[in-house]
Amino acid sequence: MNEPIMTDMRSEYSKTLIQVGKENPNVVVLGADTTDSLKTSSFGKEFPDRFFNVGIAEANLVTVSAGLAASGKISFASTYAIFLPGRAVDQIRNNIAYPSPQGKQGLNVKLVVSHGGLSVGPDGGSHQQLEDIAIMRVIPNFRVFIPADTISVSKLTHLMANEYGPFYMRMARSKTSIVHSESQDFQIGKGIILRDGSDCTITACGITVRMALEAAESLQQEGISCRVLDMFSIKPIDNEILEKAARDTGCIVTTEEHNIFGGMGSAVAESVSESYPVPIKRIGVQDMFGESARDEEVPLLFEKHGITSFNMVKQVKEIRNKKL
Amino acid sequence: MRLNYYQIKKNILRARKLVIKATSIAGSGHPGGSFSMAEILGCLFYKYLKFDPNNPQWEDRDRLVLSKGHAAPGLFSNMAVAGYFPESELETLRKFGSRLQGHPDLKCPGVEFCGGSLGTGLSYSVGVALAAKIDSKDYHIYTIIGDGESNEGQIWEAAMTAAKYKIDNLTAFLDRNFIQQDSYTEKIMPLDEKLEGDDLSEMWKDASRWKTGDKWRSFGWNVIEIDGHRIEQIDAAIAKANATKGIPTMIISRTIKGKSVEHMEDNPQWHGKAPDSDVVPIINHELDSQFMIAPSIIAGDMTNLANEIKRCVSGRADYIHLDVMDGQFVPNKTFDHTKIKELRHLTIIPFDSHLMINDPVKHVRDYIDAGSDIITVHAEVTDEFSFGEIHDLLKQNQVGIGFAINPNTELPEWSYKFLPSLDQLIVMSVVPGKSGQKFIEETHAKITRLNSILKEHNFSGYIEADGGINLENIGSVFADGARVFVGGNAIVGQQNVRTAIRDFRNEILKSRRSILLDKAYELGRTDLVNKWIGLHIVGEKQEQIKKIAQESGYI
Repeated sequence: MNEPIMTDMRSEYSKTLIQVGKENPNVVVLGADTTDSLKTSSFGKEFPDRFFNVGIAEANLVTVSAGLAASGKISFASTYAIFLPGRAVDQIRNNIAYPSPQGKQGLNVKLVVSHGGLSVGPDGGSHQQLEDIAIMRVIPNFRVFIPADTISVSKLTHLMANEYGPFYMRMARSKTSIVHSESQDFQIGKGIILRDGSDCTITACGITVRMALEAAESLQQEGISCRVLDMFSIKPIDNEILEKAARDTGCIVTTEEHNIFGGMGSAVAESVSESYPVPIKRIGVQDMFGESARDEEVPLLFEKHGITSFNMVKQVKEIRNKKL
Repeated sequence: MRLNYYQIKKNILRARKLVIKATSIAGSGHPGGSFSMAEILGCLFYKYLKFDPNNPQWEDRDRLVLSKGHAAPGLFSNMAVAGYFPESELETLRKFGSRLQGHPDLKCPGVEFCGGSLGTGLSYSVGVALAAKIDSKDYHIYTIIGDGESNEGQIWEAAMTAAKYKIDNLTAFLDRNFIQQDSYTEKIMPLDEKLEGDDLSEMWKDASRWKTGDKWRSFGWNVIEIDGHRIEQIDAAIAKANATKGIPTMIISRTIKGKSVEHMEDNPQWHGKAPDSDVVPIINHELDSQFMIAPSIIAGDMTNLANEIKRCVSGRADYIHLDVMDGQFVPNKTFDHTKIKELRHLTIIPFDSHLMINDPVKHVRDYIDAGSDIITVHAEVTDEFSFGEIHDLLKQNQVGIGFAINPNTELPEWSYKFLPSLDQLIVMSVVPGKSGQKFIEETHAKITRLNSILKEHNFSGYIEADGGINLENIGSVFADGARVFVGGNAIVGQQNVRTAIRDFRNEILKSRRSILLDKAYELGRTDLVNKWIGLHIVGEKQEQIKKIAQESGYI
């Protein structure tokens, strides 16, 4: 594989927000004292009347966003992952997802967070959000995305601005490598085949997509043909692409920086078990919390939880023996 | 809708009855908190809110956000009265398939906010207010929060945000009824100070112990503190709030949970409980039996009427009765509209102007301009045409319409067609002309006679008893059907107006309890009488009512 080009999701998000803000005067951006970190403050410099920093008050952030959305605005509310689903789930449910104006489902609020998963690193276990997908996935009317790279971030931000309704998008703190081409099309509920294969499928999301591609590369050298899917749209999930993968490859390994309970792996397992059941192995955090790791130690943290391309290779080999 | 004081009151009554009906049929719901905010919603719906029931999504409508969503029956009832949907739909409250959910829901067009998970409505309102600013829209946002709800930290997050963004298109009400689900607010989580013991009245009697206003002021809000059941105070507070720029306004409204039904008032049990169906007719009868005291200032020092007004204000009068006499219609002369205008600024308590003058049609405009809230003219000096003119003029100006008959006058037949829109009928119980006369006993029979005519012609105003009313006869006049009581010598003539008014109220209360006991006995004999008495658990009510029931031989 080529040397990765590393880019920053938050900068891309901020840049895209300004673009959609120029295209649509109804776009408003809200933050909770993390707007420099999330880089949304640059939207505020461009559009001071459409930018609101509500302070360290995430419940308020969510509900104020809902009030704006109820009055015709398209609200993008952003802070760290740990402080949104983990903290303000009642407001997310009852103020964004539940209220449904005539003919619509939920209010037009986009919750876009950074610092999802273990890759948060040094801030430690209290700040590593490993439960957000489980929380957000179970709330009706919400669509849930985890982009793998900055191309995804940009395209999905445009998509959310143009598509009515509540969305949750989780970005990573650290820089990520580009895995998609600029021409890649992103659709709600459509997974993306990044690499074809016939012996096994790895489904990934966020920063694990790159790992999955690396695992597939090394499996190839051992003569194992591995399909890699970017399941950036965790809800709705692409049942079709998953059923096809199950039929074509006969086994699936899922991988994510999230608790294996309720995350993308669970969503894949639920889908496949109803369409074409095949053996599935879920790689992720095994129902525990994270811990501090300096940036250069983050790979060690991932290794501890088995979220590595090395472990993906190992799991693919094992699960192939369990094929039905 | 811009209705006058009396029509607002009538609509509030209608809405209260719907709350009772809806929660009783549903078998659950929150009548207590619906009643504590009843007058606030009444003033909003029937005077201030801009809305179109036929186009609930009208972009420029004012927004009403009920943050204390459990009081949904109160909101839905007013929406029905305001014309969003038929009143009969209230019967579907909380039922499967209904738009009227247990808590306010956008499923019902016209509802602005899915409230009920407490503490969130103010943040939501801030968002709506910010959107209005971005779009340069001049609609206003009115938000009602509860005092129990104020335990939620998010209320204070929103408070800071509203101040930061100088949100002046938002007016919030705190429905300060001192009761939350478990008990009194000052026991569970004090907003003012911790309540020791169980006597709630201890807390609110002493305004110096109230700290809630200080809290909101320190958060950068314009704070107005009022009695949340007095329409004129709510009205004045909203007007003041709307005129305040650059800062959000919190109207702290001291209210009574379950207001207007004695056994629900200040009773924590009625936070979330529905009335049993057998008690409903008694409750409705009680709701129909609200009463007002209107001291007549001419019984005081005519050389210092300003002081008489002040005495009535501190005595907590409901209205100020102003006897205008011209020396022609009656032998005496008192004052005219110039005096009323001069006195108007002293109080916002409604001015009940009783014109005992010839040719009222020629002068009524002056009395409107002087600031009367209701103007009553006499049958003896009007006819169908002149009264029609007066009627229309008052209506156009949102002034209450009153009509009066002297002891020797029967209600003229030509007036029947005006009865449905009449706000008040004064039945004189003395020959008008001077203060201090004795009540004419024939009046009892006359009011009884009138009742059937009034009922037949859909009169929905109040009968005001005027002349010789005192502590001995007030109970029986109330039993006749009068609801407003003018007090001359018996109130203003007394040294202490406040205790005189309180004594008036207590006498009426006694009479009302006795009437309600009659009703209970009529509907369900001793069993229902005992059940109804048993509902009165706060203070000494139960013992007092039991005594009346024993005297009546019901128990």
